[in-house]
Amino acid sequence: MTTTVRKVAVIGGNRIPFARQGGAYAKASNQDMLTAALEGLIARYGLAGERLGEVAAGAVVKHSRDFNLTRETVLGSSLDHATPACDLQQACGTGLQAAIYIANKVALGQIDVGVAGGVDTSSDAPLVLSERLRKSILAASFAKTPATRAKALAGIRPSDLVPAQPQNSEPRTGLSMGEHMAITAQTWGISREEQDELALASHQNLARAYDEGFFDDLMTGFLGLGKDQNLRPESSIDKLGALKPVFGKGEGATLTAGNSTPLTDGASTVLLGTEEWAAERGLAPQAWFVDGETAAVDYVHGDEGLLMAPAYAVPRLLARNGLTLQDFDYYEIHEAFAATVLSTLKAWEDPDFCRDRLGLDAPLGSIDRSRLNVHGSSLAAGHPFAATGGRIVATLAKTLHAQGPGSRGLVSICAAGGQGVVAILEGA
Amino acid sequence: MSATSAQAVETLAAPPSLAATFLKAVLTARGRSGEGPLPETVLELSDLAVDRDDLADYQGVCGMPVGDTLPHTYPHVLGFPLQAELMARRGFPLPLAGLVHLENVITVRQRLTADDPLTIAVHAEDLRPHPKGTVVDLVTEAHCDGEPVWHGRSTYLSRGRSTPDAEPGTAAPAMPQGPPASRWRLPGDLGRTYAGVSGDVNPIHLYPLTAKAMGFPRAIAHGMWTYARTMAALGPAADGPSTSHVWFRKPVLLPGSVELVVDRGDDGSRTAGLRSARNPETEHLVLTLEVG
Repeated sequence: MTTTVRKVAVIGGNRIPFARQGGAYAKASNQDMLTAALEGLIARYGLAGERLGEVAAGAVVKHSRDFNLTRETVLGSSLDHATPACDLQQACGTGLQAAIYIANKVALGQIDVGVAGGVDTSSDAPLVLSERLRKSILAASFAKTPATRAKALAGIRPSDLVPAQPQNSEPRTGLSMGEHMAITAQTWGISREEQDELALASHQNLARAYDEGFFDDLMTGFLGLGKDQNLRPESSIDKLGALKPVFGKGEGATLTAGNSTPLTDGASTVLLGTEEWAAERGLAPQAWFVDGETAAVDYVHGDEGLLMAPAYAVPRLLARNGLTLQDFDYYEIHEAFAATVLSTLKAWEDPDFCRDRLGLDAPLGSIDRSRLNVHGSSLAAGHPFAATGGRIVATLAKTLHAQGPGSRGLVSICAAGGQGVVAILEGA
Repeated sequence: MSATSAQAVETLAAPPSLAATFLKAVLTARGRSGEGPLPETVLELSDLAVDRDDLADYQGVCGMPVGDTLPHTYPHVLGFPLQAELMARRGFPLPLAGLVHLENVITVRQRLTADDPLTIAVHAEDLRPHPKGTVVDLVTEAHCDGEPVWHGRSTYLSRGRSTPDAEPGTAAPAMPQGPPASRWRLPGDLGRTYAGVSGDVNPIHLYPLTAKAMGFPRAIAHGMWTYARTMAALGPAADGPSTSHVWFRKPVLLPGSVELVVDRGDDGSRTAGLRSARNPETEHLVLTLEVG
């Protein structure tokens, strides 16, 4: 088989507004939300009854019964049920990695069109049996005689009946993501004021995007919500400055609920395909999905910050594409925390880091901050882990389309486990 | 069909409580003539706002995705308190308790969402003899912004004096045969769960004892649940313009297992059947669906 690499178009995207934990989507499951986002995409692009090449999506917080979450979603949707689907999971990188997966298949001619997506719920989270109870029940179910079964069950203590507390910490370090971020923020000397300013800009940019109707063709309302529930258009430096730090300790603690992303629920989808597929349906590409890169860092013994992998992924992606950090019209750097964005930018400006860690002769340098997250990002919109990639790709594609052909955008998303997924899009 | 001039529209401020309505119906069951005329009253709820929490609970119980689109069967649930109220009133010739839901036809004229305020009107028509007693149609109509958007016709049988040569009802299609498309295990508390989301607290659905008191060996599933669950299995297209027609057969005893069988017609229409998993000859319902 001869393979030519084909150009991959981002044709459009659709998401549901993101809701705060226990908020508007408290009764919705991951499958409900992904279905809503996908049905909105189907309606917007006339995909009902179509057999697509593949749908790839995932969730980070997932019930074990949802092993086939995406396929189940397709089966409950208006797509032709002969559309295959797969679940993919790479923590907060899930959505963007799903887009890379679909884009690669389109580029290689394996499929002509596909959907990448992601969903996450913090409201309908699984509760886990205590480890002792789980082991006792399993032992009882394997028992061959009533006596051994009784013995296994007799080992259960009342305290075992309490479900295990859901953990939001790294399995290997026991530190929460916020605690990891607090350490990195101190390492890079990121001030409280810088973080609050970035958070405020995120809210202001997102609010302006809504006012301008930017999301009108990128979003389907869900369960009565028409806008991201976390958005605070009236936020101010004073209000953000009044919040108490929640991560880190003592004088140097700078991470607050205002400059960290809250737990949220939501889903997003992106339609990717060839120019020909789009043209046959009277659709126009918004952007080209040019390339993607994934990096990982060893954070386990503190050698590198948990969320610093994108700082490594981006220079590799730039080198491969013959670009510099300044060759972009727009930057979408996922705001896991305001400090994540600021630490990453500082690292790229730092000659020692760029020489010693990245092996570069010169630092990548600074970016024009007015081109950063121009339609808001996770601090304002919220961050349903796996849904963030789709939100960003669809937002950036539309932004680049408005800028015109040849315009360029960079996506950078950090993920738990010390990983980072980054990508380049070009306006179409 | 909209109300004719002879009909008197009575707009209620709120949906009547079904528990109170059922009680009233039981206490006034005796002495109903079984003969016409039917009351001319049209009971109406104006600009009813859908409660999203109630809707989400209904969707969850019926195996539908939680979302904004009103399921094909949902306006029936909204209008059912009006049906019960109309039939519980003294002027209604048949006793509500013991009525058997024989058939139901629903036409969705346009996709509806929880944001659409619905005006729901219910009236009774076409009281007629049946080989097993007397049947009546309760017609539920939903309007949104003055436009007719949803129409339902529920046919109920009151067992009684037989009229052997009477029309037995519309002819149902043949039950689909073959291997099951799905098997559903229905828990013993399904009737109570569905009563919680629909308000239909008819005791035949709640507990084995209350069902026994009404002449059933165990609690039976709500026909409207079996209808809604079957519609859910047929996919989201039926939430848009579509018509379904269901013929209810033998009740589903709880707990129990049922099998879904589906035939697809050349024109895209579907025929679905629900049968007992243990005795496939026991048919619970057969249903046709046309989309578009």
